[in-house]
Amino acid sequence: MKTLKLIFLLSITWLTGCSFSPSNINTDASVSTEDRLPENPLAEKAITSSINPAKGTMSTLYGNQTAYAYAGANRDKQYPKGSILFEVTWKQKADSLWFGANIPREIFSVERVFFPEKGKPVYELYIGNPLRKKAEPVQSVKRLAFILSENMAPSP
Amino acid sequence: MKKIGFILLILLACFTVAQFFGPDPENISGEKSHSRSKLLTNVPDHVENILRNSCFDCHSSQPDLSWFDRITPANYLVASHIREGREALDFSKWDSLPTPQQNAKLYYALNKVLAGEMPLPSYTLLHRDAELTTEEIRTLKTYINSLTPRKYAERETKTMENKPPEMLPPGKKDTGIAPSPNGINYVPGYRDWKVISTTDRFDNGSMRIIYANDIAVEAIRSGHTNPWPDGSIFAKTAWKQQPVKDGVVRTGDFIQVEFMIKDSRKYRDTKGWGWARWRGDNLAPYGENKNFAEECITCHRPVENSDYVFTTPLNPAIFTKPE
Repeated sequence: MKTLKLIFLLSITWLTGCSFSPSNINTDASVSTEDRLPENPLAEKAITSSINPAKGTMSTLYGNQTAYAYAGANRDKQYPKGSILFEVTWKQKADSLWFGANIPREIFSVERVFFPEKGKPVYELYIGNPLRKKAEPVQSVKRLAFILSENMAPSP
Repeated sequence: MKKIGFILLILLACFTVAQFFGPDPENISGEKSHSRSKLLTNVPDHVENILRNSCFDCHSSQPDLSWFDRITPANYLVASHIREGREALDFSKWDSLPTPQQNAKLYYALNKVLAGEMPLPSYTLLHRDAELTTEEIRTLKTYINSLTPRKYAERETKTMENKPPEMLPPGKKDTGIAPSPNGINYVPGYRDWKVISTTDRFDNGSMRIIYANDIAVEAIRSGHTNPWPDGSIFAKTAWKQQPVKDGVVRTGDFIQVEFMIKDSRKYRDTKGWGWARWRGDNLAPYGENKNFAEECITCHRPVENSDYVFTTPLNPAIFTKPE
């Protein structure tokens, strides 16, 4: 009887084990409720992408609708007021499913560039885990120049 | 009793006669080579020896078969393995391949090994020596990884031109783009979709953005991605990696866009997905005939437990971290 019970239990475990197919989401690379960001950049549209092999990071430049539409039609970087750009940077990890590829591991930083009605674009840096605004980011001029140097990735 | 003995005798006679027929698995293409000469000129000997031991029987014209591989009817099976093997990858033609193709073949082969698909389990069952040891796999990884160090160039591409890309508006019915050989039409407007991942493919010098339509994004948000719901579409766009002088790699020339369209009934013959790829600036549909999808499925087979999807998607919606 004990053996029968064991076989029954093992069969149930085996059957449920087979039908259970968990969703595989890269949550570490996503924005969580603990992060303090004014907007969710991952819900915006992607303009282009870049990789920094020396730092082991990869970034995607997102734009809100105004910025995205402008980047799709212009290259002069005179983004109209109300445009917001987000340079989201992830630490990379090796793709466990393909030797020869890296994929995002976790968000390292979010850089936000806002174009106000008057004056220069405003640069903000969100960094850490969870993401928090950095009070006086160094290299903000250099980083702003880099972000503004990025063009829409070409596609026919 | 006499009858059984007679039948056995007949069978034995048939078996003996059969040995004079059937294919010679070592010489299926008439280019039998008994020599064990070096085939891969630019590959170090210790790496070639690993490949010879585990791959050359089916993937070169220098097979080193066992006596039982030559017995009819086993030789028919072995010959068909070799024929298919060489079609996919023939190390005898290695030296005639351009370097990027050689690198891509090695990465692909190694990934098939890591996925447990190669060498074929039916082959290693009787050829135990062909199984790769952990040490051999490590040697291959180190060597193959060394083939593609990133090189920084300052070459300008059309990305740098002061001209924005022309993108088709979403939902436009008549795209003027030829459909894929399996009848799937081009899907315009995918650049407006949410991004679910990016890939740095240093093995072949490309970088990708993977987009998902609203149905797929909702599946991610609600945690129902295995299987993906019907109506889900992914667009994987690949660009050449464009290294620039500050050490950053940017998107260079557009290579291709690939689509996976989920419809478990319509595409039940191709694992529930419609597969399509358009290459180059003129968006030329990929594939000679509708069976090209078999190539896609073969590559995606290691992830059949994830509904044939390689991408582990990030969540474009803000998620609540578990306590």
